[in-house]
Amino acid sequence: MIRTSLFAALTVAATAALVAQEPIPQPRTSGGCPVESRAFHDCATAKARTFKPTRTRDGHPDFQGYWRSRNNGIAYDVESGPGSFAVPPTLGEIIEPADKKIPYQPWALARRNELRTKGFEDPQGHCAPSGAPRKNNTLFGWRIIQPRGYVVFLYESMHDYRIIPTDGRQHLPKSIKMWHGDPVGRWEGDTLVVDYTNLNGKHWFDMSGNFQSENIHVVERYTMFTPDTIHFVATIEDATMYTRPWTLNFSLERNKEPGYYQLEYACHEGERDLQHFTDDTGRGESKTFREK
Amino acid sequence: MGGAGRVSKRVGGCGSLDAPGWAALFLVLASGALLHAHHSVLAYDGATPTTLTGTVVKVLWQNPHAYIDLDVTADGTRTRWIVENEGPVALERLGWTKSTLTPGDVVTITGARARDGGARLRCASVTLVDARRLPCFASGGT
Amino acid sequence: MMALSALIAAAFAATLTAQQAAPAYRPPRLPNGHPDLQGIWQVRNTANWNLQAHGGSYKTPAGLGVVVDPPEGLIPYRPEALAIKEKNWASRETADPLEKCYLAGVPRTMYLPYPLQILQTETEVAILSEYVHTWRWIPLTPLARYPGYESWMGDPRGRWDGDTLVIETVGHNDQTWFDHAGNFHSDALKVTERLRRTAADVITYEATMEDAKVFTRPWTIRMPLYLHRDMDRILENECYIYAEEAGKPIRGEHPK
Repeated sequence: MIRTSLFAALTVAATAALVAQEPIPQPRTSGGCPVESRAFHDCATAKARTFKPTRTRDGHPDFQGYWRSRNNGIAYDVESGPGSFAVPPTLGEIIEPADKKIPYQPWALARRNELRTKGFEDPQGHCAPSGAPRKNNTLFGWRIIQPRGYVVFLYESMHDYRIIPTDGRQHLPKSIKMWHGDPVGRWEGDTLVVDYTNLNGKHWFDMSGNFQSENIHVVERYTMFTPDTIHFVATIEDATMYTRPWTLNFSLERNKEPGYYQLEYACHEGERDLQHFTDDTGRGESKTFREK
Repeated sequence: MGGAGRVSKRVGGCGSLDAPGWAALFLVLASGALLHAHHSVLAYDGATPTTLTGTVVKVLWQNPHAYIDLDVTADGTRTRWIVENEGPVALERLGWTKSTLTPGDVVTITGARARDGGARLRCASVTLVDARRLPCFASGGT
Repeated sequence: MMALSALIAAAFAATLTAQQAAPAYRPPRLPNGHPDLQGIWQVRNTANWNLQAHGGSYKTPAGLGVVVDPPEGLIPYRPEALAIKEKNWASRETADPLEKCYLAGVPRTMYLPYPLQILQTETEVAILSEYVHTWRWIPLTPLARYPGYESWMGDPRGRWDGDTLVIETVGHNDQTWFDHAGNFHSDALKVTERLRRTAADVITYEATMEDAKVFTRPWTIRMPLYLHRDMDRILENECYIYAEEAGKPIRGEHPK
C-alpha cells in the first residue's frame, strides 16, 4: 500500500540520515516542482509566470475548495532536522537567508535554544490559534471560500479561520494585539498579498522553540502555479529579534480526496471538564502535560 | 460520493506498519536525536519502545488527546496504564472511529513510555481484537 | 362633532392602509438573486443569559424572553428533563459550558454577546463568531452527511426558501446549553433556523428546536440581529488562553 511504503521510506530515510550524515533523500514533488524549499521556490515562480488560473466572477484567481499543506515536517521545525519519536524529518521551509536558518540576534538564539527543550510551552499545545504564517503548516487542511471582496480560510484544526479582506484597508490601531493579528489583503496581479500587523508575538513558528516578539510583521503571498497547487511565501520582519528579514515557502495542494469532509476539531473539551465524567465511550477528564 | 457508508477520511498516515519500519524509527531515537519535539510527546521517551497487552477499561474520545485506559497484568500484578493519543479528528483520519475500541477488548499497544517511569504510554500503534493494526499518529502537526 | 370624528377616523384608517400597502423591505442581492445577508451582526437581547422571560439578578440583566412558541414562552420540557434543567440552573455558575470556554453550539452561537460576520457565495454561507474563532460553514448544495458526525457546533445544511435562509443542523453532542440558565438538549437535537433580512440593519432570526428525548414538542425562539455600523472587521476572543494568562487555567483530572 502506498502509504505504508511512504512511511517506511521516511523512517528508513531518517535512519540513513543519522547514520550516514547525508542530506535526506527527497523523492517527492508538488505541482511538478521538487519540495526542497529553494528548489521549490525557483520552480514554482517559473511555472506561475505562464500559468493561467480559472477566475471568480470578479476576475481574481479562484482559490476555492479544500486545501492542505505540503507538510514536510515543517510543523515541527521550520529549519531542517532529522526527526524523532512521532516527529518526521524535515528539510525545512526557509529560503532566505541562504543557510536556511532563522537569522537570530545572539540573545534571541540563546533564548530559542533554551525553549527548544521546552516543547510543552508551545502555545499551540495550549490551544492558542497559530496565527500567520504558522497556521498554513497544519496537517488538517482547510477550505477556502471567496465571497466578493474577501478570501476566507476555514481551517479544520481548532475550527480556526482567517477572514482576509482584499480591499487594502487600513490596519487596526497599534494598541490591539491579537493571536490572529490583523490580516489586510490585496491582489497584485494574480498574487494574493496579505499583510499582518497587530500580532501579539506570543506564538512560536513551530514546535521547536522558534519564538516571536510583539514587533513581528508578516507578509504572505499566495500564487497559483498549477490548477491544484499554490506557491505560498511568507516574509517575517522583526528588528528586535533578527539581523535581517527572513523568508519561508512551501506548497499548498488541493485536497481532491473523494468524499472528503471537514470534521470539527474543538481544541479542548473533556480534559477540562469536571462535570461530564463517564466510564466508557466518554467525554471525561484527562491530564494534559504541562510539565514545567 | 453520496449515499450511505463511511466516506474516506485518509489524509496521509499509514494503513499498517511493519516491524522493520518501527525498528528503524526507534533506532533514530536511540541515537539521541531529540532536538525536535512535539509538545505532547516531550514527556515520553521515544527511545524506549514499550509494548503492552491488556484489557481496555475505558476510552476517552475527546480533544486535544484521546486516551485509552488499559489494565495490564504482569507477574500477577494488575497495573492501570493511561495511553495518550492524538485527538479524534487525527485518529479518524488514520482509520479509527469512536467505537474502534470497546471496554473489555484485549489489545496490544506499542509506544513510548513516560520519562518519569509512570504507567503512561504515548501510543504508536494498536493491534485490535481482529488483528488489524492501527497507527496512533500521522507524520504531521496541528 | 360626530361628522368630524368620523372624518378623522376615516383619515387615520386611510393612513394605516397606505402604510400597509407600502412595499416590504427589499434586500440587496447577490448576482444569482439570493438576498445578501453579509455584514457584522449581533443581538441586543439577554437570550444568552436566559431564553425565557426573567427578572434581573446578580450579574444578569432582565429580559422579556425570546421563546415565541409555545405562546406562553416556556420551553416544553418532559418532566424528568425539567428536573435536570433545574439542577443545571442551580449550578450554572460553574456548569455552564461557557464558563469553561467550551464552544457555544447552535443556536446559542447566534446570540452570544460577541459579533458574528456573515459572508456568502452563491453556493454557501459562512457564519463566523468572534467567540473562540468559531466558524459555521453552511453549504447550499445537497451534500451527503457524514455518518456519526458528533460535534459542538453541529452539521448544518442550508437552502433558500424565497428570501428566507433556512438552515437545518443535526450532529450535535449533548454538551452545550441553550443559555446560561441551564436550558439543555440531548444529542438527538435538530435545529431549524430561519434568517430573513427584514430591514437594512435587521435580520429576523428564528430557531426551532426538536428533541423528543428532552422536550414534549418542538419550540421556537425569535429575535432580531442588528447590523454593526461601528466595525468593519471582527476582533478575537481567546477565552481559555485568557483564563490561563490570568493564572486561572481551566484544568481537569484524568478520571479514576
